[in-house]
Amino acid sequence: MRFVVVLDGTVTTVARQARALAAFLRDGLGDASVELAGVTEGGRGELGGVTERGELAGETLVFYADDGDKRRLVDLAPTRDVRLVKTTARRPDLMVDDLLALGAGAHSTGPGTLGGEIALILTAGGATGAELATRLACRTGGAVLTDALSIEVGPRELRGRRTVYSSHLRGRFALTTRPWCVSIDASWNDGPRSPSLKPALEHYVLSDTDETGGAQATPFEDIELVAAPSTDDLAESRFLVVAGYGAGSREATKRIAQAARRMGAGFGASRPVVMNAWAPLDRLIGVSGTRTAPVLCIVVGASGAPALSWGIERAGFIVAINPDDHAPIVRDSDALLLDDGVAVIEELAEIVAAQREQGGAAPTA
Amino acid sequence: MGMGGLNTEAIPSQMSDLRVLACFKATPDFEALREADWATAAAGGVETRYVRRVLNCFDESALELALRLSETAARRGVRAELGALSVGGRDVEPYLKTLVALGYERATRVPPEAAGGESEVAGGESGLDFAPGVVASIIAAYAQRVAHSDLVVLGWRSGPGDSGTVPFRVAEALGWPCLTQVTEVEPLSDDRLRVACVADDGPLRLTLRGPCVLAVGNAVVSHLRVPTLKDRLARRHRPIEVLAAADLGVDIAAQRHRETCLPTGFETIDRSRRGVVIEGQSPHDKAQTLFDSRLRDIMETL
Amino acid sequence: MDLSREGVVDGLQRIVEPGDVITDEKILIESSVDNFRKLQNIFGVHTMPVPAAVVMARSTEKVAAILRFADRHGINVIPRTGGTATEGGLESAVPDSIVIDGSAMNEVVNIDAYNMQATCQCGVPLQVLEDRVRELGLTTGHSPQSKPVAHMGGLVATRSIGQFSTLYGGIEDMVVGLEAVFPNGAVTRIKNVPRRAAGPDIRHVVIGNEGALCFITEVTVKLFPYFPENNVFLGYTLKDMKTGFEALRAVMVNGYKPSVARVYDPGDAGLHFSHFVADDDCVLLFMAEGPAGIAKATAAGVEGIVAAFPECTRVDSAYIETWFNDLCWGPDKITAEDERIRQTRNVNRTTEISADWSSINDIYQAARARIIEEIPDITMMGGHSSHSYINGTNMYFNYFFNVVDVGPAEETTKYYLPIISIICEETLKRGGSIVHHHGIGKARAPWVKDEYGSSYYILETLKQAFDPDGIMNKGTIFPL
Ligand SMILES: Cc1cc2nc3c(=O)[nH]c(=O)nc-3n(C[C@H](O)[C@H](O)[C@H](O)COP(=O)(O)OP(=O)(O)OC[C@H]3O[C@@H](n4cnc5c(N)ncnc54)[C@H](O)[C@@H]3O)c2cc1C
Repeated sequence: MRFVVVLDGTVTTVARQARALAAFLRDGLGDASVELAGVTEGGRGELGGVTERGELAGETLVFYADDGDKRRLVDLAPTRDVRLVKTTARRPDLMVDDLLALGAGAHSTGPGTLGGEIALILTAGGATGAELATRLACRTGGAVLTDALSIEVGPRELRGRRTVYSSHLRGRFALTTRPWCVSIDASWNDGPRSPSLKPALEHYVLSDTDETGGAQATPFEDIELVAAPSTDDLAESRFLVVAGYGAGSREATKRIAQAARRMGAGFGASRPVVMNAWAPLDRLIGVSGTRTAPVLCIVVGASGAPALSWGIERAGFIVAINPDDHAPIVRDSDALLLDDGVAVIEELAEIVAAQREQGGAAPTA
Repeated sequence: MGMGGLNTEAIPSQMSDLRVLACFKATPDFEALREADWATAAAGGVETRYVRRVLNCFDESALELALRLSETAARRGVRAELGALSVGGRDVEPYLKTLVALGYERATRVPPEAAGGESEVAGGESGLDFAPGVVASIIAAYAQRVAHSDLVVLGWRSGPGDSGTVPFRVAEALGWPCLTQVTEVEPLSDDRLRVACVADDGPLRLTLRGPCVLAVGNAVVSHLRVPTLKDRLARRHRPIEVLAAADLGVDIAAQRHRETCLPTGFETIDRSRRGVVIEGQSPHDKAQTLFDSRLRDIMETL
Repeated sequence: MDLSREGVVDGLQRIVEPGDVITDEKILIESSVDNFRKLQNIFGVHTMPVPAAVVMARSTEKVAAILRFADRHGINVIPRTGGTATEGGLESAVPDSIVIDGSAMNEVVNIDAYNMQATCQCGVPLQVLEDRVRELGLTTGHSPQSKPVAHMGGLVATRSIGQFSTLYGGIEDMVVGLEAVFPNGAVTRIKNVPRRAAGPDIRHVVIGNEGALCFITEVTVKLFPYFPENNVFLGYTLKDMKTGFEALRAVMVNGYKPSVARVYDPGDAGLHFSHFVADDDCVLLFMAEGPAGIAKATAAGVEGIVAAFPECTRVDSAYIETWFNDLCWGPDKITAEDERIRQTRNVNRTTEISADWSSINDIYQAARARIIEEIPDITMMGGHSSHSYINGTNMYFNYFFNVVDVGPAEETTKYYLPIISIICEETLKRGGSIVHHHGIGKARAPWVKDEYGSSYYILETLKQAFDPDGIMNKGTIFPL
């Protein structure tokens, strides 16, 4: 019983895919799955190793379009063993053909095939990963779980979780037939870059095949990448400081904005702040402004009126700094500092800046 | 797609250049449920029968994109014929009527229950919410056998199942490619479309030739236009077609048995925030405690 | 007015902190309209005169000083709190006005659970007050759909009404006392007493003045015990509105006080209840609340009365309860609706009127038929009755149209005003009132004399007495 990790090296996101999949292999498998990953107690992180019994091993299958990328791609693989397949970019339907040709769907024995039964095929988060997993399951009679938050190998089936009901709930699922085709949730892309993951595995390239032959009429032509929208936009910001009316003055608002900049955070403001012209209108968070979803949001001197809380409620962690413990923001925050906002945020900026100088956590907003 | 070059065979007058099938699902409006309603999920399921239906937002984009596609096509001398399909109970009929009033030429629903055993509880949840394989078979069979579609346009995912696999499964069944996270579609000629989509590596545009499944994502166009009372009156006699899955060669009960990713339970996602008060003697103390206890770790993930 | 635009700003900066005088162009433009011209705001088209400044009021004394300044120089003043007005009450009818924004006066001054009354400044959002009193097991009983966003000052100034009005009444039944500032700077406090017979009830000079007589700085409202666990919901489908009005009347005249009593016509029911009603069904619904015994008895009584109408078919109460729990419009819904309008140019408008039981159905039928016949591009024409009294009820016309062939600025002249005009005509013809709870604003000011008839004398005299220089919200209530 073996597993394959699939990386799409025909696009620039491949390093992120590799990181996410490695994080998933480390943290996304329940205890019962540790074996599957070939991870031994002493060597968490040395993925793809063969257990003592010699039966569980993972390989990474890397698709590439350009020969020049090969070396770099091999280094990204989260397992020791790597196979390379040259293919057509942006055609998951054809990549699935390639996977089948390698024997991903059945016991394969020929040279250059995966060999043996592949139990689990793991693809990255995002559209391509989901398409690969789905199409592969359709063609092999296997089962597919997209956007997996975690998986766990049971005695006869694979169990996994993903969000359902439009993100209102998590669902538990059982995958009843093999191969289990699993694409991981995109949130793994954002996982911490764990220091325990060894980036420099020694890799073995087991095979390298070219599946680009047999010129087919392509359905997609004139592909043109459009510049992605700029990311200093509030909606995209991963760390935000938001000033509320409790800041009290234009001067204080400016100091909060400066502290934000020092910490590498984006800066937004509540409606009353903007209405007072203490901050420009494009900083407005909440109704008729921006709805944000930062990982970390520090709210300074805002009571947390519904108009504002709507704009920040999707934040991962909310810190409120506010002297009034009756304010609605108290209910909407993860951590609360009952104090003068400006004083605290300036102290905090100091601490973060000092930390950065020591080479510690240095956010790049 | 396309009628070939110098074909001299008689072309039926009804022939259209581009047959577009738009599929949609009406889901309970999850936003209308309260925290307390979700809290019961772990114990059993969520009671969504009592909340109003809404169009799945991505499907709504798909339906409007199809209308715009047909309008642009008409300006370029290409006739696009629009069909709408929903695998759904009686509660999708108001939507089908709206689509007919807006100019969809065919509006069809396939009840989600096995023929004969149709238990269409008004407002009830479809029995196929967690059976994306069955839904995809119905859509593919309809596209192939009834609508002879050139293009299938639908939302990239829909609750409550949210598997996001239906478009890929339809493409698999039809042997077509699939473009996902589609945001715009513009017909260039009777066999070429310019499509904008958001790939994993960023937004891109490409020219599409030949049949394809277009899975619509966060399109700029997210709302379906509204027909006037006069539009409704004018097209009120057009029938809403109800087809049994069996007529499409799909055996719902048997197919359901073949689903291989089965839901086994639900968990609530606790979103309530703790509001832990960080104590300290001075602003500096508090900031330091906050940083040490929480922020240091979080900032590492930024 | 004897001052230039700069002169107005300069004068204000002498009265309040300079930072409290806002002259940012975008904000001034945004402050020149309300929901009456929401389409213009959504599309960024601006046709109204731009105010000279928005000034943040922070105390009663500052409000008095600003008003004295405006009065001395004849500058138009537009009071504002939550900004959710729908009838043009916030529109600047003339150039270089001052918008006095009371939203910073947002202190909950006192919650007196013993005397069951709460005092707050004008800028307190109702939701904030309601959440605070709920912690004590109490409620204000006031629940307009705009509860999350409207503020106490505006709610009193527009004579607003909430969803539980049939039990708790409108805001006029809740306000026990208040503080208001008049154009001459006079600060007036009406004390909080249970009742008094010491002459006319002067609260009513202030309640519903729509910023056309005075600026409200503080209000005190009643509190009630809150028993959500006792709520009982009842719902029925039926085929025509006439029966629906009859059923409502029967409930009211038999002495029952459900907190909610409504009937929806098929068009409006289609928007809310399509998951359990047929195309042409009306929906009749009730909610009974209060102490357990009362809630139960009320529900049983209502049930018995409706049972006498065989056309009414009972539906599962869970439909009604679930729907009711999601009725308020917070910022999320408002933003989503604006986006829907921007994309579809399909606009939703409402006009609310009231009349006695004999006329209400005729007004509903006549106005509806005329609008469908006379107004182009209508996509939905319907409505509901949501506030009933012993002698009659209201009709909340709810309608949608596509804006076709004209720009956003012409939406009011091509569609909205002609529709309002039909509704007003049909209502006045049958002796009803053209405004049930949104206020007259500027949109319905042209009909105010017809609305009042000979009693317009009293209204007009109030204006002359309290705002002799006519600086308060020109064009609101009193047409220009
Ligand atoms: C989605 C939505 C739902 C609504 N639902 C309801 C409902 O169920 N019931 C209902 O009655 N209304 C409803 N309304 C209308 C509106 O919310 C009410 O009229 C509300 O009372 C306005 O309060 P505000 O604080 O937003 O006032 P604003 O919009 O700021 O002002 C309203 C009017 O009052 C005047 N005014 C404001 N503050 C003062 C003050 N301090 N002193 C003197 N005059 C002042 C203004 O000049 C203006 O004429 C709704 C509106 C929306 C947008």
